[in-house]
Amino acid sequence: MEFVFNALQGGVASLAAYLAAHVLLCLVPAFFIAGALSALVPQQSIIRFLGPAAPKGVSYAAAAGAGSLLAVCSCTIQPLFAGIYRKGAGLGPAITFLFFAPAANVLALSYTGVALGAEFAIARIVLALAFGVGIGMIMAVLFRDSSPTPAAPDAVFAGGDGIPRHVLHFLGTLLALLLAGTLQLDSLATVVWQGEWRWSLAPLMQATLDRWVPINEAIGAEGLSLQGTVLIGLLALIGGSAWRGLGQADRGCNQLTWVTLALVGLTLVFAASGVRVTGSGLTLSLNARSLVVCLLCLLLLPQARRFEAWEMQQWLWESWRFVKQIFPLLVVGVFLVGVIRVFIQPQWIQAVAGSNTVLANLAGVTFGVFMYFPTLVEVPIARMFLSLGMHPGPLIAYLMSDPELSLQSILITSAIIGRLRAWTYVGLVAVFSTLAGLSFGAWTDGTPLGLLALLLLSFIAALVTILRRIDRRQHPGVPPC
Amino acid sequence: MLIKILGSGCAKCERLEQLTREVVAERGLTATFEHVREMDRIMAYPVMTTPALVVDEVVKVSGRLPSKAELAGWLQG
Repeated sequence: MEFVFNALQGGVASLAAYLAAHVLLCLVPAFFIAGALSALVPQQSIIRFLGPAAPKGVSYAAAAGAGSLLAVCSCTIQPLFAGIYRKGAGLGPAITFLFFAPAANVLALSYTGVALGAEFAIARIVLALAFGVGIGMIMAVLFRDSSPTPAAPDAVFAGGDGIPRHVLHFLGTLLALLLAGTLQLDSLATVVWQGEWRWSLAPLMQATLDRWVPINEAIGAEGLSLQGTVLIGLLALIGGSAWRGLGQADRGCNQLTWVTLALVGLTLVFAASGVRVTGSGLTLSLNARSLVVCLLCLLLLPQARRFEAWEMQQWLWESWRFVKQIFPLLVVGVFLVGVIRVFIQPQWIQAVAGSNTVLANLAGVTFGVFMYFPTLVEVPIARMFLSLGMHPGPLIAYLMSDPELSLQSILITSAIIGRLRAWTYVGLVAVFSTLAGLSFGAWTDGTPLGLLALLLLSFIAALVTILRRIDRRQHPGVPPC
Repeated sequence: MLIKILGSGCAKCERLEQLTREVVAERGLTATFEHVREMDRIMAYPVMTTPALVVDEVVKVSGRLPSKAELAGWLQG
């Protein structure tokens, strides 16, 4: 009985900590950014650089750009991938796009940054970009003669303007909101105003919360604060009002739309502020972070007027659609991670992946390839591994391979580019994820960045030389691309 | 009039079909609908992103949801 109770308590604790600490300042703005990218950025602005005639350098860069800006939704990934491969810049950029998209979207990055630390988010995007382009180029060389001959230039790639300035400003403000809420800067924590209330119930409530959701640093359980409880309540309120307020926003804004938006703003400001329970009451402190968040929320209002009403409605509808699509699975995932956490002994993880060895990195990759988790759930799982003592290197190896490769994505890919190419891609991702883990692990262990860059560059140079030699043997007389 | 919705079954694609059907009904137009879900047939059109709306084999929009006013313009023009 106590066994079951412990497991359930682990799940609840993980969920509570997640909702109160990680979701708010990071995922709430991130969902709105994802909605804005999907609804407001004209896709033509990037697609026009992906045509068959585009120079190599431009098309790889545009493929990475498409991966992070356009591919927020899985229904965009598949047609874009097929389109780039068959009609556009070819296999290489298509692969770069496919590899970069799941690692570089705003939801995954911001969540990784908050839950695991900024260095993991930076490593994820830098390594995914470098290896995405690398794998794309290798695939392009390997399958040079079997690529589909580019058809007559398709009208899709002609014309199209850049991203309009008011959209860029709007996205910039949303991004600033995300950063202001999540960056760990001392200047943002400066207290500007502080108030104390005597409220004898507060310490009692905190004591109760501590009993229900105990703090245990040894297993990474953060406990639940009074502020966190209020925030979870506010989140539930937002969810309730957004159901109609945002879910039906595409039929015109209703009263609930405004209620939802006001609640979101209030919640963000409250989450940025500090509430501390003292022996006899509460201390509320407004810091620079709360002011900046509040200011940015207000700044969005005049900017929104520069859009057509239909565009704003689309934005809200899309943001809510992402929440509905991703959030429930994430909640279930986080709960289950908390339950499983109770049963895993740190010694097991440390024995397999406690240090930065090739074998440990391979273990991380293997786990990533064979496990399939819904979007974003890879992050709480990685967090669990980290708290159990996994070395950061194998952790990055796992984070690189898990969202890129799942049975489902392998099947879709092989339907479009063929089985041989798809499995070659899988093999390359496994190799490069291991490499990514090894280099990140070496960096955290103290190897200087310059030496690592040198080693990586020489490895890639060697690889390219070998590929070119193979290429030349198969196509004598043809200059390598 | 033949209206084709191109999309592999994502939420946006369903919504585009719904919106288009509403406009057709509101304006009292007659149209045959077809929802194209196979990637090969979608790729035969000059589109890179779904959902896309094809009216009498001419692509009107792709990759975003148009407003009802825009839809009415294409369907009546």
